[in-house]
Amino acid sequence: MASVLLIILLTLGGVGLYLAMPGGRLHAARAALILLIGAAAALVALVLPMAGAQAERIWFTLLALIGLLAALRMITHRKPVYSALYFILVIIATSGLLILTQATFLAAALLIIYAGAILVTYVFVIMLAQQAGGSAPYDQRAREPFVGVVTGFILLAVLTLRLARGEGQPFAMIATDPERTLGSITLVGTHLLTQYVIGIEITGVVLLAAMVGAIAIARRRATAGQGEVD
Amino acid sequence: MLAAYLLVGGALFTLGLVGFVTRRNLIIMFLCTELMFQGIVINLVAFGRYPLDGQPTLDGQVFSLFLLAVAAAEAALGLALVVLLYRYKGTLDVDAWKLLRDE
Repeated sequence: MASVLLIILLTLGGVGLYLAMPGGRLHAARAALILLIGAAAALVALVLPMAGAQAERIWFTLLALIGLLAALRMITHRKPVYSALYFILVIIATSGLLILTQATFLAAALLIIYAGAILVTYVFVIMLAQQAGGSAPYDQRAREPFVGVVTGFILLAVLTLRLARGEGQPFAMIATDPERTLGSITLVGTHLLTQYVIGIEITGVVLLAAMVGAIAIARRRATAGQGEVD
Repeated sequence: MLAAYLLVGGALFTLGLVGFVTRRNLIIMFLCTELMFQGIVINLVAFGRYPLDGQPTLDGQVFSLFLLAVAAAEAALGLALVVLLYRYKGTLDVDAWKLLRDE
């Protein structure tokens, strides 16, 4: 049952994604919308009967639908600024999913770092580098959408069908201790600064190297149309 | 619920992959790598919350924090490179740099 629903979900999602790719005809968008609604219904039918708390399943379904549809719109939208804004929606949905798994500190960090810092940099670069007058011709047409969608479909089918056919009851919830609160800032901080303290130091070196590298790249002078750098 | 989280994480990763392959805008291609990171974060945290055996651990969340740091470094370097490439050619079209590919 789960395998059938998964195949329906993947097929409808794949065809919908192909039709929604930029470069298609106008009426393809409407067909893509219908197919994606079908895929969303398949996802709901797949997740809702699972074991586990009912509130978690409902919130999970809602956040997963928002995240996946925003991700799909992000990679198919013709205007880069809208892609960046849809990615913020993906981050918010991801943070919600992390809160569902009790990773509250990580959810806050994800919102602050991604939506607050990284996405601002992206939007800044988009505004810096975007030509005036609407979307550029290279945003109007996708490159080999059929091959790309088929590649993604095969990858996801192999991954998830293996998941559905796994041993035991993979779609059932494994019994965990609900009283234990994971992911509070005290627990994560203690874990981070005792067991992974070497990793923290190495991360600091990586950030320093990235900062020096970014400054070195930004200091170069480029003249348009030439391959020479001073 | 573990399988559901893995499904969503895998789907986000695959959408990022498809976007990276099919879009031709340099900035969108970098955004798609960030989308793949989101899928990986969901997978890591779900494995930490619903482990296949034993009690839940915090390792997945700690790995995700390291991933956030690497993603920030990657965004800074990648966007600096994108701005530099844009100043060379005056376009964000990735096909403008197809001489880099072996033909």
